[in-house]
Amino acid sequence: MLDSFEIITTSGVVVWSRTYASIKPSIVDNFIADTFIEEKSGSTAIQDSQSASVNPPYKNDQHTLKWTIVKELGVIFVAVYRSLLHLSWVDKLVDNIRTIFVSLYGDQLKKPHTTIVEFGTNKFDEYFDQQLHELDKASGIDATGVPEIQLNSSSNDEPLSAPSLTYRGRNINQGGLDATLNGPSPPDTPSASRPSTPSNNNLLVAKASPAARLSRRARKKNNANTNAPPLSSGDEGPGGRSKKAPKKKGRKWDQDGMADEEDDVQLDYSAQANPLSDSEAEATGRSSALEHVDSSTWGSTTKGKFVLKDLGDEVHDILASAEASQAASSKNGSKGGLLGSGINAVSGLFRNVVGGKTLTKEDLDKAMKGMEEHLLKKNVAREAAVRLCEGVEKELLGVKTGSFESINARIQTAMEASLTKMLTPTSSMDLLREIDAVTAPPVTSLRTRRPYVISIVGVNGVGKSTNLSKICFFLLQNKYKVLIAAGDTFRSGAVEQLAVHVRNLKELAAREGGGEVDIYQKGYGKDAAAVAKDAVAHAAQTGYDVVLIDTAGRRHNDQRLMSSLEKFAKFAQPDKILMVGEALVGTDSVAQARNFNAAFGSVRTLDGFIISKCDTVGDMVGTLVSLVHATNVPVLFVGVGQHYSDLRNFSVKWAVEKLLSSS
Amino acid sequence: MPSPTFWSLVESSLTPSYTLAIIAIVLILGGPIILHFILSNSTSYIIHPQVALVGPDGVGKTSLMTLFERGDSPSQTHTSQKAHSVELNASTDSSSKYSYKNHEDTTGTHTKFLLIDTPGHGKLRNVAMERLNRCERLKAIVFMVDAAALGEPESLAPTASYLYDILLFLQKRVSDKSNNKKNNTPVPVLIAANKVDLFTALPSTLVKTNLEAELSRIRSSRSKGLLDSGVGTDDVGSEEQDAWLGEYGSEKFSFKQMQEFEIDVDVLPGNVTGDGPGAEKWWWWIAQRI
Repeated sequence: MLDSFEIITTSGVVVWSRTYASIKPSIVDNFIADTFIEEKSGSTAIQDSQSASVNPPYKNDQHTLKWTIVKELGVIFVAVYRSLLHLSWVDKLVDNIRTIFVSLYGDQLKKPHTTIVEFGTNKFDEYFDQQLHELDKASGIDATGVPEIQLNSSSNDEPLSAPSLTYRGRNINQGGLDATLNGPSPPDTPSASRPSTPSNNNLLVAKASPAARLSRRARKKNNANTNAPPLSSGDEGPGGRSKKAPKKKGRKWDQDGMADEEDDVQLDYSAQANPLSDSEAEATGRSSALEHVDSSTWGSTTKGKFVLKDLGDEVHDILASAEASQAASSKNGSKGGLLGSGINAVSGLFRNVVGGKTLTKEDLDKAMKGMEEHLLKKNVAREAAVRLCEGVEKELLGVKTGSFESINARIQTAMEASLTKMLTPTSSMDLLREIDAVTAPPVTSLRTRRPYVISIVGVNGVGKSTNLSKICFFLLQNKYKVLIAAGDTFRSGAVEQLAVHVRNLKELAAREGGGEVDIYQKGYGKDAAAVAKDAVAHAAQTGYDVVLIDTAGRRHNDQRLMSSLEKFAKFAQPDKILMVGEALVGTDSVAQARNFNAAFGSVRTLDGFIISKCDTVGDMVGTLVSLVHATNVPVLFVGVGQHYSDLRNFSVKWAVEKLLSSS
Repeated sequence: MPSPTFWSLVESSLTPSYTLAIIAIVLILGGPIILHFILSNSTSYIIHPQVALVGPDGVGKTSLMTLFERGDSPSQTHTSQKAHSVELNASTDSSSKYSYKNHEDTTGTHTKFLLIDTPGHGKLRNVAMERLNRCERLKAIVFMVDAAALGEPESLAPTASYLYDILLFLQKRVSDKSNNKKNNTPVPVLIAANKVDLFTALPSTLVKTNLEAELSRIRSSRSKGLLDSGVGTDDVGSEEQDAWLGEYGSEKFSFKQMQEFEIDVDVLPGNVTGDGPGAEKWWWWIAQRI
């Protein structure tokens, strides 16, 4: 069974929840942080109103979370259950609850300056229980497999609804509940099922007459069908039943069938709707959807449980109308006539300048192409650029531009926000304080003093040793005792190169009265991991603060060389593993970052990037986006020149500015 | 006799005369002006005072916001992704002035204000900072900390570095002479030590000293740290890069130093859920500031 179901706004307030087994709130917190904020899933951008079955489930150690989001309203629907259970109907439940909730309370979520959602007299609990009950049951029957029921119910439904509207959940369910009644009989025509509940229908007819009177088409239909007295009484039933349904529909069909969630009428289904609003709704809400809902009520009236049925009908109506309006909106998109399209085009152009335009896929496509192009020019790898653009496009779809805001400006701001979010590290990066915490632990903590170990990896020739000595210079300025371990035991001259750096740094340190630096080397041909381990041990004995380990450059797709990194990480136990990436490299940067990130085994990843040679690329700093995009590892330092002092902290603002600047 | 008077009226209104000309001129010139006043009065341009709720994630910001809004008990919350504001009423002279449960209180004058909840997650700090930047009538900042977790350096360090950013932002705002607008009115800061009902919670004095100690550590390490990328060598030493929080050159940071920039920093304990002093003290602090 389900452990918990929660409806959460993006501002963090739980609007509604149902808990069956208490779960730690941190599970949902982590889910939000990983999925929405850090976007760890990585593969696809989060899509609006996507079915829960398409969204990748979030798996905790014991729990599975199925979710869906309505971005416009900023609500997330999450179902939590034990991973051991296979609940096939959870997707359906999440989707249905989303539809119901949005149509009932969507308008309340749009109110500014409040977090309260009033559920009114009809508690959402009942709707939820009904859905849960229904889906649970339906899935049970579904599992046993009764093909006739499926067939029967679908044949019962299909001619009545639009071809694209077949609503599987309902079909199954209806078939399931009606199995005893409808199952054995041949495919029911509406007229055949009607007399089965004459009293119920009659009751409704009496109430519904004012509404039915005004619905012209329903009346026409009635007239056409009135052949026998019992049929006519039955036939008005749906007209009466539709009393509530068209009201919901009314608002949906007013606005070109586009915005079914944009209504501002709070619906109270438990109360008897007043005739006036009904008639209004009826008058405006003329469409095929009426027939659709009408017909859906026929089937439901034969259902066994009375109390549940009433609610069930309502829920079905909501779901069916949502489906209908969705289908209609997709249909409406194409039609409109010459005049209509002309007016649309003109107002579209006008709105493009003035703002207040609702962005559609066509509008965005062209502009997004331009943005993608721009990013590619900035040396962002294609993969990263495409994903960034997709994310922004999804985010903007259906959004209204502000007054006097063009599409391009909107995209620009959205991209800026997207880039900033991507490049901002989750936790602050203060190397000096981290070093202090390790080398001089507070007395209260029970840790003992040990040297802080930083190791630097990367592809050949990207500037590992240079950046290592830059970091060393920075540490020396802060008066640390640094030991440099020559871990490159492979390339000729690597140790000597480091020795030269150390000699220079020593000189500088002595002149400025800074810290101390020494080299730890074991010559060539030794195992790098062993050298690193010895260096750390040596540093701990002799009281160094920081150990900087240089490693041999390796090609990221050379399995043999990369596999030795895992052993290295295990032996040296570095506090920070930094990868040096060139700003010059293009598309390959994604593969480099991925391979290096995966090379340290399952428990260890990279801790940060150093982007070298930034001074040589000008504005084209796209490599750092590619690197961060591929791994979610933050950029720590940026190399901006040839001198020891040319190392900079990475500033997100600077990078975003450079990326978006048009030259 | 309506018809002759009617016709005579029409006639006289169409015959040129000085009175008519004056009436016409007044109508034509005065009409738009009157219309303007009617419209400008009907739509509210009033910006309510704003109070921002900031702090690291998981300290109870959204919880506090819902507590203030609902009055009785806070709603369940999860990690926020967006800034959200609620409209609240505070007063300094009503019978229930010390309490946020004032939804039915009619005595005294109530001031409406917006309480802005910001996301605390590390990646979304820039959202929060941007929100602060956009505030036009920012009256106070409530910086929330988790008093129960502040004993651990793992929690203290990120909390303090966020607080450092906030204080530096405020300090720059005040000292920034170039923006001459109302923006540089000093904004007081309340450090709300939440969750004091828990066993591990530090008393507010210890919260204060811990934060001060950590802030001075951050300040010294930032002054020694590397420059940000994008800063050229000629910019070094310029006003913008000269970011020293509090009294320049002082060894230890204390919140008192912020008074140099007219920024008051108070630390008050409280809790949103559970038994304890509750959130009344914070409410009263906010009510006094708006």
